[in-house]
Amino acid sequence: MLMLVILSIIFYVLGFYKHAFAYAGFLLQAVYISQRGLQLDRLPLVGPHDTLFFMSASIMLFAIPMAWQMKDKQRFMNSIFGLVIFFVLISMLYTPHNKPLPPVLTTFWFETHVAFSFFSYALFGIAAVLGILYFFRNGEAFEVFQYKAILVGYCLFSAAMIFGGIWAFLAWGTYWLWTPKELWTTILWLFYSLYLHARLRKQWAGKPSVVLGIIGFLIVMFTYLGVSLLMKSSHTF
Amino acid sequence: MTFLLKHILNFFLSLRTAIWLLLAQIIMLLVGTFIMPMKEEFQNLHTEPLFDWLIESPVDITWWLWGAIVFLSLLTANTLLCSVESVIRKRAARQWLLIISPQVIHIGFLFMLLAHLLSSYGSFRGTAYMNEGSAITLPNGNELMLNQIKTEVDPSGYIRNWSADIKYYRDGIFIADDVIQPNSPSLLDGLGVYIKTVQMRPFPVVFVEVTREPGALWALVGGILFLAGMISLLVLKIKREDVPGER
Repeated sequence: MLMLVILSIIFYVLGFYKHAFAYAGFLLQAVYISQRGLQLDRLPLVGPHDTLFFMSASIMLFAIPMAWQMKDKQRFMNSIFGLVIFFVLISMLYTPHNKPLPPVLTTFWFETHVAFSFFSYALFGIAAVLGILYFFRNGEAFEVFQYKAILVGYCLFSAAMIFGGIWAFLAWGTYWLWTPKELWTTILWLFYSLYLHARLRKQWAGKPSVVLGIIGFLIVMFTYLGVSLLMKSSHTF
Repeated sequence: MTFLLKHILNFFLSLRTAIWLLLAQIIMLLVGTFIMPMKEEFQNLHTEPLFDWLIESPVDITWWLWGAIVFLSLLTANTLLCSVESVIRKRAARQWLLIISPQVIHIGFLFMLLAHLLSSYGSFRGTAYMNEGSAITLPNGNELMLNQIKTEVDPSGYIRNWSADIKYYRDGIFIADDVIQPNSPSLLDGLGVYIKTVQMRPFPVVFVEVTREPGALWALVGGILFLAGMISLLVLKIKREDVPGER
């Protein structure tokens, strides 16, 4: 199993030379996730190893169709490969969670809550990459793609929050808990709400909103890793 | 007076106001995430309605929550007025769905705020340990009896699944029975009965939590509206948004 992860990293590195290799790396990631799913008999979405790996694969999943519509896909995809390799490497620092899940976690609402959260994190990551490319390449197109990535990501993130609320109500009797994780999740949601509203104003359109799109991903990372590792909450690893 | 009213109305009708209020709200919550883990008082926040807890707790640790409530109230007025004004102003536009979708999202958001408001006033949470054959009286006057606890245990002794048969009585007369399972509470007469932990040794016992969450239904309605508006906006916006210089 570990071999699949290492091979996927090698293929992604080769992807800088020829993109086809990176697509093969993505396929290997999909095989690894499926294998773990079959082995555990559930979606492998618990603990930092599986979630980081899933997020890295999700980045590719959304980046590929986006690249089809781009002129400058070479630079975009190379940046994406870098981001994917980074997250796969971090995922390898953590031991996979192989224990059976408590009955309360084996539900559709939990699985969709987590899957949608990481899909949205992946899109926010892509948006940050597009924001950085906007500044380096001064490409207006990257700004529009960043907006599209954030809009889809925001929709999925909202769905993740709503599904999480439904699950929490069914599991614990409340759709909201006062913990730092919930507050950071709300901060993240409000921040992207701010981005979507700010972009409608002339003064914020262009560079300022692109900067917001980059900052957003830093908040994503703190909400996901920082809060889970440093603060006590219902989402602690 | 008219001048002042117009000024206030313009303030609430402004997109700039929404942006600054969102920023202020973010800052309040950000501060809160650092105060919360450091103060023991926040441990009790889950056991009573938010407003009761706020009144009892010292302001030096709750000021950010008061601030968040003030900014949320202003944001509510801003959302409501902007939505009404937008529908009135653009009612003749052709792309009706594109005009209405953001307003559906806003209504969903307002329902979610209403849900939090209702729960902050009238939520209830009580806990008890129960063994088979024991009974407790619920706040709505019903009596809850735990009939039987069933478990599925794997070879290592780990409880893979469980269920609990319960019966409700009122004034000694049987009114209903139900089965509680993980993610499947018993909901009756405005109260939810949840089983948090199950223990089989030395004898079967469960940790029961009884909750009342008056905002839950409104939160669900808000969530559905928010998502419906979001999906329709997404479909329409993604198509319309032009990418300069790209195919």
